[in-house]
Amino acid sequence: MKVAYFSPMPPEASGIADYSVLLLPELGKRVELTVVKRGARRPPRGVELAVYHIGNNPDAHGWILDALRRAPGAVVLHDFVLHHLVAGVTIGRRNGHGYLDALEREHGVVGRLLGHGVLDKRLPPLWEVRPEEFPLAGEVLGLATGLLVHSRHVEGRAREAGYEGPIVRVPHPAWPEPDVEPAAIGGAPLIGSFGNVNSSKRIPQLLEAFARLRREHAEARLLLVGAVSPGFDLDRRLQRLGLDGAGVVHEGRVDERRLWELMTACDVHVSLRSPTMGETSGTAIRALTLGKPLVVTGVGWFAELPDAVALAVPPGDGEVEGLAAALRLLTEHPALRERMAAAARELARSEHDLTRVAERQAAAFELIAGGGAVADETLRDVTLAAASVGIAPGSVEASEIARRLSEVDLGG
Amino acid sequence: MRIAVLRPQVPFARGGAEIFTDELVDELLARGHDADLVSVPFKWYPGTRVLTQAFLWRLLDLEEADGRTIDLVVATKFPSYVVRHREKRVWLVHQFRQAYELDGTELGQYGPSPEERALRRRVQELDRVALGEATRLFATSTNVAGRLERSTGLRAEVLPHPPQRLAYRHEPSAGFVLSASRLDRAKRLDLLLEALALDETLEAVIASDGPDRERLEQLARSIGLDGRVRFEGRVDGERLAELYATCSSVYYAPVDEDFGMGPYEAFLSGKPVITTTDAGGPLDVVADRQTGLVVAPEAAAVAAAATWLREHDEDAAAFGIAGKALADEVTWDRAIARLLG
Repeated sequence: MKVAYFSPMPPEASGIADYSVLLLPELGKRVELTVVKRGARRPPRGVELAVYHIGNNPDAHGWILDALRRAPGAVVLHDFVLHHLVAGVTIGRRNGHGYLDALEREHGVVGRLLGHGVLDKRLPPLWEVRPEEFPLAGEVLGLATGLLVHSRHVEGRAREAGYEGPIVRVPHPAWPEPDVEPAAIGGAPLIGSFGNVNSSKRIPQLLEAFARLRREHAEARLLLVGAVSPGFDLDRRLQRLGLDGAGVVHEGRVDERRLWELMTACDVHVSLRSPTMGETSGTAIRALTLGKPLVVTGVGWFAELPDAVALAVPPGDGEVEGLAAALRLLTEHPALRERMAAAARELARSEHDLTRVAERQAAAFELIAGGGAVADETLRDVTLAAASVGIAPGSVEASEIARRLSEVDLGG
Repeated sequence: MRIAVLRPQVPFARGGAEIFTDELVDELLARGHDADLVSVPFKWYPGTRVLTQAFLWRLLDLEEADGRTIDLVVATKFPSYVVRHREKRVWLVHQFRQAYELDGTELGQYGPSPEERALRRRVQELDRVALGEATRLFATSTNVAGRLERSTGLRAEVLPHPPQRLAYRHEPSAGFVLSASRLDRAKRLDLLLEALALDETLEAVIASDGPDRERLEQLARSIGLDGRVRFEGRVDGERLAELYATCSSVYYAPVDEDFGMGPYEAFLSGKPVITTTDAGGPLDVVADRQTGLVVAPEAAAVAAAATWLREHDEDAAAFGIAGKALADEVTWDRAIARLLG
């Protein structure tokens, strides 16, 4: 099958670009792929399915949304909350009316009024302070002929939003284990957090929890890897918590090899997020590949990780205490770390296996492109057979047949 | 225990799966269970017929029969496992292979159009759902289990089934190669005929029938085998046992086969098996120079193997004895204990 593939690609600094680079070679063995150049307005002629990777970053995905508007197709929905994307392609293009329209379309007059407040700078940007309440995914869902998602969380939210098309859940693929030496960073244990250093990655809560751990385990060390977001004063926070000595090591954005070296060096990985946009964490997937025990926030995709590989701490009240307890547990019980490490590797090898994920994605493409016709023909045959023996639409018997069709996903 | 053994039936066709399910019912009855065979006709073409015919199984109510509870069902091959039952055990003989490893080969069924691609995937999705409901999942070979896991992520316990009941015995070789595989393209009888054409000292008996028989007989004539291959058609058990007992080796080289009883039947007669490196399931038990010869899927290699086994009686007998030790382990007592355990 001929597929046009719209995705951010390197050298763009995007987790979804990394994802596509990982997946494309295997996917290309299963379908005939054309990777569309950034900025293309439409899929090339002759393709049987256009696949659009949609995430919340307007710089990476704005042009893809533009193309989706011109030619609907399958959407790989990496985030459910798309408010930032919508703001980027409206306000960011000096089209405030477009932003207001989007808010009104999905949230009525109240949404429009809130939008005015944002445009007039009387309210803080909704995509920063209340994105979960105003996901603005409606337009993308309306254009998608089928959805590929990574989590039950996003599948559920799409259904709640009224999406009725096919949704196929395909896990994020795991990277192969890299051939790298661990970076020389001490710590017993060394706890790593990878990604932007900011509040939505729960760094304030993590630092507080880690400070508590350090009081009992002076050899513990926290490694933060990633750019510090504007307005987030890391140094001051470290100073206030007494962590400005040897307890915390920070490296900014690093290249892929260094990332793996640092990740390999860690005994425990922390992957926190709140609010969640519905995303899957590429760094958490890397931790599975490396067989690292995880501490995560109990939200969205993160909450779906099996208990055997991740300790999930709910955000909000008691979060710091929960994080401290999780870190203490993993610090004091190396045998637990080993069990979780083995389970993590197994999960990467099975559920997130690259070839299996590529196969499932190719299956999803094929089902989205031709599944409607198959479902129609199947239902027509069953309906005709039922009608020919006097089973009328709406009868008890017809309902029973419909229920059985639905049980095996043949219900259309 | 009241047990229903489920078998799709292609009308007028009979092969290993039919023999297996008939014997399973007999063996369950012999162990005091109340067992019966439930069979539904199956046709897999054209178009979505494969789905609607599979769906017939979903409409069956096998929770009870004649007012008495059916405790357990044993589904065997696609699409019998689409059935609904609280205690559904699957002893997987094979999935619908056209939707899997045969796709894109000359044995495949689906073309490149989006509708046909989607139909193939829909069969796979049906498998994922229906097999995922099984309370226990067994596969007849490592090959079947591996294919299942790769395609659906589901893991099955490998449980080979015993071969059909025959008066197996070993007699001195009369020098011919035997094939008892059903005559369809996937069993790759062409390769045996082409091997015979390369070595005019080789002879073969083909003791089976199937849709490819006419073509194979024509091929034998066209490559001048001149009576060195004898098509006996489907033979009775007595004749089959006699052929196994007196052959020099058994040819069994299907393409990526699921299981196949051929090797076990050969071994119980103390005969070695010739198979190929791409045969799939048979490789679970046919080990090169231990229980037979495993060669490249090329006519010359098959010819050389057949000649070698005919001319090395002692080695052939040793391979057969080693194979028999393996086949003796596969008993109905053990299989049923695991199936119902």
